[in-house]
Amino acid sequence: MSVDENNENFEHPLFDYMEKIPGVDIGMTTADKVLSWGSRNSLWVFPMATSCCGIEFMATACGRFDLDRIGTVARGTPRQCDVMVIAGTITVKMAPRVKKLWDMMPEPKWAIAMGSCAISGDFYRNIYSVVPGVDTFMPIDVYVPGCPPNPDHLFEGFKRLQEKIKAKRDGTWVEPESRPVAGMQMPSVPRYGSPDRDPAYDAAQLMCTQNMDPGGGLLRPGVVLPQPAPPPEVEEDASEGSEA
Amino acid sequence: MSWPQDAIDLCTDRFGLTLCETEGATVEREQLVALATALKNELDFRFFVYVVSVHYPAVDPIPADEEKGTEAVDGIPDHTVVHYRLRRMATTERGTDTFAFRTTVPTGEDCPTVSDIWVGADWQEREQYDLVGTVFSDHPDLRRIMMPEDWPGHPLRRDYAIETQHFPWR
Repeated sequence: MSVDENNENFEHPLFDYMEKIPGVDIGMTTADKVLSWGSRNSLWVFPMATSCCGIEFMATACGRFDLDRIGTVARGTPRQCDVMVIAGTITVKMAPRVKKLWDMMPEPKWAIAMGSCAISGDFYRNIYSVVPGVDTFMPIDVYVPGCPPNPDHLFEGFKRLQEKIKAKRDGTWVEPESRPVAGMQMPSVPRYGSPDRDPAYDAAQLMCTQNMDPGGGLLRPGVVLPQPAPPPEVEEDASEGSEA
Repeated sequence: MSWPQDAIDLCTDRFGLTLCETEGATVEREQLVALATALKNELDFRFFVYVVSVHYPAVDPIPADEEKGTEAVDGIPDHTVVHYRLRRMATTERGTDTFAFRTTVPTGEDCPTVSDIWVGADWQEREQYDLVGTVFSDHPDLRRIMMPEDWPGHPLRRDYAIETQHFPWR
């Protein structure tokens, strides 16, 4: 590889990975370093965009953020791609197709789970037809959280993936001890059947679904819902006395 | 929602139906195809908006309770209500109107198809069969359209268990 060593201000990222030989326009490096540099700077992407995260991926790929800056080009076929970006909710019917496309990609290959739905299913997690996280059926290298993530976040994900590829080539990669905890935070409102909830709410909710009015109303006439107990009254004795 | 006067006259005079403000006419299954044909051919309702099925599970009657002062409530058999909504465009002198009608299908029986009247009803009836389990008789191609082909049950029925196991994720 020819380099202009006479120009002192010349900086190239390859200089970090190769040694210049003085006197001649030749630099020496190892094949590992060149392969590492080349593979992580030409990540061609297969966008597995099924919902709104795909829009953010398009924004990332377009001119304002420009994914091409790091050598990332979106291709329409898995045969030419290195990275699969799973952007969106994956249903049970879609999952075998995603796995098939993943198997069609040539090695070496990586996968980025973009958005909460791809990571854990998010609030579709308990729906009958949604896969609770794509890492249940295929390996994921980088998780980009968000609903949907900003283009900046996706860029950060690609940078992390580049660091991971470099560390794996160098042999310095340490597998994290634990995967991200799958699952959601508890909602602020107690759910159906929760011990923190008044049983009258549960009974009323069940009666609402069982006694819908075929005539179009919410409840068929004559049905009386159970009323929840009023909140307990706070006794005002000691604090009032001390203030007085 | 106010229905167009010519459709109200058709339902009340020829078919003897009663109309609801929000849900339109309630028609028996035997009269459904005749009503749909008349609405399309005579009143220019050529645009089929949707067909939606709602499953109502069987509910036991509630006896009267003298202590609480509530009256007795009748039970409901297990059935499905199929709603239709139509629209006509401003291409004719009749103007732009919507019209709706519905029919009740007991569980285990079929609903007559309207896919030979409106072609747009074909896939929508397949969707209702897929999700709610309403069987449309004489439908040309009644298969699942959204769920996997080997999916057990119909997910939008009230008696569908959400924990239904589906290999390998559920």
